[in-house]
Amino acid sequence: MKLRKYLICTVLISVLLTTTAFAEIPYSSYTYDYWGNPVPAPAPYVPTRIVEGTTLGIGAFNNANDLFVSPAGKIYVADTGNNRIVVLNDQWEVERIVDSFVMNGEEQTFNAPQGVFITDAEHLYVADTGNGRVVELDEDGNLVRVIGKPVNEIIPENFEYKPTALVVDRAQRLYVVATGVNQGLMEFDSEGNFRTYMGAPRVSVNMYQYFIRLFYTEEMLDRTTDFVPTEYNNIRMDEDGFIYVTTSTISVYAIQGAISGRSTDDRVSPVRKLNPTGKDILRRRGYFPPVGDVQFFSRGYAEGGQSLLVDVCADKYGIYSVLDNKRGRIFTYDGDSNILFIFGGKGNRLGTFNNPVAFDKVGENFIVLDKSVSGQGQITVFEPTDYGRLVLQAVYYHNEGKYDEATACWEEVLKYNANSELAYIGMGKAALDQDEFYTAMKYFRLGNKRDYYSKAFKLYRKEVLSRYFGVIVAVILILSVGLYIRAKRKGRREVVA
Amino acid sequence: MEVLRGLRYVTYLIFHPFNGFWDLKHEKKGNLGSALVIVALLSITYILRRQATGFIFNTVNLLELNILVEIISVVLPFMLWCISNWCLTTLMDGEGSFKDIIITSAYALTPLILINLPMILVSNVITVDEGAFYYFFISLSTVWAAALMLVGTSVVHQYSMTKAFITCICIIVGVGLIIFIGLLFFSLLQQMFWFAWTVFQEISLRF
Repeated sequence: MKLRKYLICTVLISVLLTTTAFAEIPYSSYTYDYWGNPVPAPAPYVPTRIVEGTTLGIGAFNNANDLFVSPAGKIYVADTGNNRIVVLNDQWEVERIVDSFVMNGEEQTFNAPQGVFITDAEHLYVADTGNGRVVELDEDGNLVRVIGKPVNEIIPENFEYKPTALVVDRAQRLYVVATGVNQGLMEFDSEGNFRTYMGAPRVSVNMYQYFIRLFYTEEMLDRTTDFVPTEYNNIRMDEDGFIYVTTSTISVYAIQGAISGRSTDDRVSPVRKLNPTGKDILRRRGYFPPVGDVQFFSRGYAEGGQSLLVDVCADKYGIYSVLDNKRGRIFTYDGDSNILFIFGGKGNRLGTFNNPVAFDKVGENFIVLDKSVSGQGQITVFEPTDYGRLVLQAVYYHNEGKYDEATACWEEVLKYNANSELAYIGMGKAALDQDEFYTAMKYFRLGNKRDYYSKAFKLYRKEVLSRYFGVIVAVILILSVGLYIRAKRKGRREVVA
Repeated sequence: MEVLRGLRYVTYLIFHPFNGFWDLKHEKKGNLGSALVIVALLSITYILRRQATGFIFNTVNLLELNILVEIISVVLPFMLWCISNWCLTTLMDGEGSFKDIIITSAYALTPLILINLPMILVSNVITVDEGAFYYFFISLSTVWAAALMLVGTSVVHQYSMTKAFITCICIIVGVGLIIFIGLLFFSLLQQMFWFAWTVFQEISLRF
């Protein structure tokens, strides 16, 4: 009887403890393996808080469209519906609200600003979408310049200029994403004059389309849509000055083709990294191209179809993350486009989104701007877990050339996640460096890394061959002598016969 | 013994296809037993190829390997080929009986076994750099088997080379047709079954 009481007590206590000890994460984290199957992974980031306009005491965000973390760590929110830019400090306190500026002695306001960019000198660029202009303000909110509608013979007179996102490089050149522009990014020089379109995606025409058009009449050709390059929807710049752009207009068939063919073609890639000449230089060495989800239902489901990438965020060493608006997920890739993390989801709980439109990194934390259902925006803060930190640290070390430290990290990562192909590859590379070829082969096999496996195997084969060289030569000698004698005897017998 | 004798004949046939196929049919050098053994060996080769090819060249997820599917993927196309072959050639004045067709087709597939089996071993001791050899021999086996199939069809039915070639293409189209009709048949059968089932449910739930 006493024992029974004791048992019930322990069970009750343990139940109570377990229910209180875990704050459940509302999404399941995973990565994709070599075969394209989603495999569960520990959560790399966990949501810690939600920031809303009302709790900040500045009224609810209304259709907020962009979020930008300045080099000084301040958070700028383009609160589109309220025609203002909200500036928050790293303690999540409102520092100031920019909703007007003085131009030629006259007070001017924004009209539905959709994008912000902050330079190293803490100058604020606002894509003042409704007014069709880009406004540059200094750190005190004084007007520096206004860059209006681009004037050039290649731009039609009736073109409605609606800038939605922009970046400014170190040479003060502007790269602007504008609605309805499919020729790429609009490049303005430091004087604010339109220079050219840059980084237009190459157009892809498949054989079938080309063939079928041969039989079309003039009227049919007029009615079909033209082959136009895809439109960019967002733009970011990394610390080296390379521009990341995203697009969500690539068809589901093209994406599926790219996935099944493991394509590295930039024409079917929803995220691109452009160098200053507008050429795509994103390294696509992962098992799959960086397109967000690799497995999805193509049709017939509410959440079917390819990931719709709406924002990109660059970390150091070419690590970048993209935000999927459709399923509310964040995908983090390393500099070779190997998938590191996938987390987030759709829903109404802390850590899930309704309509995520922008995100950025504050220190090591992710902040995601969710437009929400009613347009009342909120910002969710994600902090990395030990696992998330370890993986990133391993990639950092690897890029810094600290291979021993990287190996130690990968070893630790494997304790958290035995499915991590990247960790196995990291361990394999380390084993290869230490001339432990067989161990390296084992790791590369687990990581499905065939090219490195082949390298390790070649060295291993050499090692085995040289170790047993004497035996091999002896066997060959004995065999050939034996065969020779046999042949001779047989020949003699034939002669006798 | 008969079967073994038939199998030994393969070594002559693959190098001398014209004489080989002629004697196969008219001198009774081959028999149905050895033909079936060849198909069985081919199935085994394909299973082994999936399972035992070296990691570098094996692009199949071994966790999802299903031996039954592998066997079907060899036997089914073979049977479809033979049936389609027979259906067409009886209409096109072919001389070969169904048995002849099975024996000829099976013998024509032997390069796939003779080359692929050793290549499984080889694939375990070579690296990516030497992969060209591997892929060369794999394609060689396919081309060789296809050529033998063509010669076999022409000899067994006493067709000219052009006619045999056209027939082969027609046979492939025929295979497609058979698959189409088969799918249609099963789909209709399924519909009928479900119709009967729902009628039964409707009635049984009502009373």
